[in-house]
Amino acid sequence: MTNPPMIDLAEATKKYDDGPPALAGVTLTVAAGECLAVLGHSGSGKSTLLNLIAGLDRPSSGTVTVDGTRVDQLGEAGSARFRRASIGMVFQFFNLLDDLTVLDNVLVPAQLAGMGKAEARRRAADLLGSLGIDRHARAYPQRLSGGERQRVAVARALMNRPALLLADEPTGALDSRSAADVRQLLLDLNAEGQTILLVTHDVDLAASTAHRTIELVDGAVVRDVANGVRGGVPGDGAARGPAPLPGAGHLAGADTRSGSGGPAGALR
Amino acid sequence: MSALGKVVRSGVGRRRVQSFVMALTTLAAVTSSVLSLGLLTVVQAPFDHAFASRDAAHLAVQFDGTKAGAAQAAATAHAAGVTESAGPYPITTNLDATVGPDCTATMGPGLPFAGSDAPPAAVTTRPDLAHSPMDQLVLDDGRWPTAANEIVLSQWPYDCRGKSVVFSTLPGKPAFVVVGRANSLTSTATGFVTGAGFDRLTAAGAHADSQMLYRFAHAGTDAEIATDKQAIAAAAPAGAVEGAHSYLTERERATGNAKVFVPFLVVFGVLGLFLSVLIIAIVVSGAVVSAIRRIGILKALGFTPSQVARAYAAQALIPASVGVVLGTVFGNLLAVPVLNGTSHEVGAAGTQLPVWVSLLVPLGTLVIVGVTALIPALRAGRLPAAQTLVVGRAPKAERGRAAQRLAARLPLPRAMSLGLAQPFARPARAALVGGAVLFGAVSATFAMGLETAFAHFQDQRTGGFNAGSLVVVPSDQTQSGPGPGRVRNPNDPDAPHLDPARVAAAIASVPGTKAAFGWGDSGATVVGTPAQTEVDTVYGDLSWTGLELIAGRWYAAPGEAVVSDRLATTAGIHVGDTVTAVQAGKSLPLKVVGIDFDTHDGGQIVTTDAASFTAGGLTPRIDQFNVQLGAHVSGQTWSASAAAALSPLGAAPDHNMGGNMSDVVMVMSALVATLTLMLVLVAALGVLNTVVQDTRERIHDLGVFKALGMTPKQTIAMVMTSVALSGLIAGLIGVPIGAALERATLDPMQNAVGMHLPASVTHSYTPGLVGPLLAGGMVIALLGALLPAGWAARSRTATALRTE
Repeated sequence: MTNPPMIDLAEATKKYDDGPPALAGVTLTVAAGECLAVLGHSGSGKSTLLNLIAGLDRPSSGTVTVDGTRVDQLGEAGSARFRRASIGMVFQFFNLLDDLTVLDNVLVPAQLAGMGKAEARRRAADLLGSLGIDRHARAYPQRLSGGERQRVAVARALMNRPALLLADEPTGALDSRSAADVRQLLLDLNAEGQTILLVTHDVDLAASTAHRTIELVDGAVVRDVANGVRGGVPGDGAARGPAPLPGAGHLAGADTRSGSGGPAGALR
Repeated sequence: MSALGKVVRSGVGRRRVQSFVMALTTLAAVTSSVLSLGLLTVVQAPFDHAFASRDAAHLAVQFDGTKAGAAQAAATAHAAGVTESAGPYPITTNLDATVGPDCTATMGPGLPFAGSDAPPAAVTTRPDLAHSPMDQLVLDDGRWPTAANEIVLSQWPYDCRGKSVVFSTLPGKPAFVVVGRANSLTSTATGFVTGAGFDRLTAAGAHADSQMLYRFAHAGTDAEIATDKQAIAAAAPAGAVEGAHSYLTERERATGNAKVFVPFLVVFGVLGLFLSVLIIAIVVSGAVVSAIRRIGILKALGFTPSQVARAYAAQALIPASVGVVLGTVFGNLLAVPVLNGTSHEVGAAGTQLPVWVSLLVPLGTLVIVGVTALIPALRAGRLPAAQTLVVGRAPKAERGRAAQRLAARLPLPRAMSLGLAQPFARPARAALVGGAVLFGAVSATFAMGLETAFAHFQDQRTGGFNAGSLVVVPSDQTQSGPGPGRVRNPNDPDAPHLDPARVAAAIASVPGTKAAFGWGDSGATVVGTPAQTEVDTVYGDLSWTGLELIAGRWYAAPGEAVVSDRLATTAGIHVGDTVTAVQAGKSLPLKVVGIDFDTHDGGQIVTTDAASFTAGGLTPRIDQFNVQLGAHVSGQTWSASAAAALSPLGAAPDHNMGGNMSDVVMVMSALVATLTLMLVLVAALGVLNTVVQDTRERIHDLGVFKALGMTPKQTIAMVMTSVALSGLIAGLIGVPIGAALERATLDPMQNAVGMHLPASVTHSYTPGLVGPLLAGGMVIALLGALLPAGWAARSRTATALRTE
């Protein structure tokens, strides 16, 4: 059985001004339920790729299709509605709204989408409970630890049951213990079928969390390898995209997964 | 250019909108202030100067020649309060004057001067007309009379110089050659003859009275003049005082039109100045806050605190200086039409404001602006460089969390409830938004009240005797008719009049007639009132014309009359007084039962029913019917139908030329509209500047919201809602303040022109107007927030999210 692609980029290029392209003709397919890690140095095009997929930016050429929607053809309002319905985003610096409580932060996406009040509260309570932060529901984000804040961000990202979770350096601002928690959380989510695109510098995180890893250099995919630790894409068993390039093997590193499943049951 | 100069120039260049706003607000403030202060100081000066140099009289009193002899009149010089006096001089008033047949000039095609009406005259003589000890007369052109058949008048057609004037209603119809034009500053008389010339008048049937001129110890107000007049009356034989004319009336006439501008200009000046201070505080402190990092760089490069402070103060002072210079120029330019025509007759008129006003106001404004800008600029100078360099993003909002919690519970879309709570996170900024909106709301309310009052005032002037879809006049008096029109003296036996009963019946019989009334200048004069006073006799009901009473009631019985406000003020007539109308030597006492707001024909009017004249043995004259047609009735069709019915009666329908709108009010209305537009625009731009600043600081949060799926519409709704509450509150506060200012302004305005305005003019704030005005504050705020809201909606989420 072959899952329909969740993300499908065809020759996606993004150029700013007259400089070299930030993203140069990237063709990439990510299956539903897959966890894809995107590696690369600063300026390699990771964030540009993420922005194109999230509809935060448009490609200069090429197409971007996510969950069956041609994101590159959406207007401002259309891409906002698309994000609201299909995308959950987790950021390195959490991007929580400091003047809202944890609960209110988590509720915002549902409220913007016009979800019923009771249903939204029920969903938020479920998420906060599942992520183990329900005791902080009335607290303000600044009072929480980094790991707790990122859990709040994950809860917020999952509020509208998005088809795709985009995680941009989700452990980049965390201490190692908190980072391990978040990594486990992502694994649990993915295990429940959540498609995840993980942008990171952290080779270990990529290797331990993702089914597949691509590496960007100067806006181009230079490596695309299946992760031996996590195995193939669920329901597919085969990596997508360009064939692995020589030397790609170092990305499939040792299994650095640690700990057992965290409190992330029944998140979807 | 120095480094400091470059910093200033780049700062002004980068903040073009803010620089424009600062220039505009100072422009509005300085224009209003220059004009109001200039008018206040300049308007009265020529009159006061002329009053002193011509030894003018405070009061001219006319004594009935049959009740007080010359000696008795002269004895009043010793009445209480009198410091100087002159006279008695013989005088005869209310002489109907007609241009003599020897004047062959014309006013236009088919309109010869000969036989036309000249202003009624009050003719006097003095021992030496060229050198009076008091009330020195000024010869405008020609020469003084030297023969018994010569006269000098204050008003006479220029084209008829050297031609004759005929006092046509005197039995002897004496004619005089007009050898010059002269004026008395306080209009003690309008015609001047030799002693022998005066004898000719009395021989021809003129009634000779005597006139005394006085100066008093206390004569600064109407009340003091009234007291002085009572003292004179008490010193004379009972009932001998026929009339009195105060210099205050003439001063008001000469200066009122310009002085009426002062009260509202003062308000606009003050509002503009406060708004300038607020806007400059907003802009400069905003510039400092948004440029903290830049300030740190400047300091790291070696700028001293003083240089930094000067750089930021200069960024406000440069555009403010532009506004100040332009405002001074505009204020002086606007003074020209306002002062034009003011006090020409006093011989010292000018259309320029004093130079010191054009120096003091701009310099004072610059000082205020400079101090306002210096406060945040000094703060910029004192900021430690190290701290400013590490400032990377807006401070976290610690305030307003309770408001956010409460707002989240409101049954509003989330985008709106988020916006609603924002002002509580930054209360100082919300106060600035509120302050700017408050001034805008006050200005708008004040202006709307004034404009409504002006509109009602103009309605009044086009109502009453000017009302009606069209008029019916004697056949030869139509605009296209052959006659000399309404310049004919009503007492001219050849002047055509209408048969009121038959014309009224004919008009009523024409389909489409809704209402009509007839009226005309009876040609009667009123004892003791200015020469321009006319007595209008009315046939029919004029209640439909909208002519409004200020006091008392309408006449209801023979012998009752209503007096116009201007005449009542000028002649000191009150409800309950009796005035005496004189027509062809016959007197008719009329009891004043009401004061109306009648401004037609100069506004010095006594109105009574035609039946009153008939009952008193005088002849009512009806020479015009004002006709109101029913809805959707064509004037052309009605005229065609009416022509047949009216023609046998010597009457014909004609256009109503009753457009009696005041040019002064139109100029005021335009000025109010312009200044209000500027202040409201400035207020909205002040909001815009604040919201732009707020949006910039919140750009990261906006990015988060958009990443979470906030659509552009929701973003706009959030930003707009963030100012709506401040705008609403400011509007609710601003409307009563604006209304109170309008109330406080209308009183001195009507005092300036000696009018008492009717209720329809003074009660401007109807619920239909107040409702929108209350929402006006929110509208100003929303208008100001619209652009930055759009900018926030369009901002690139990816960029916003990187703003860390």
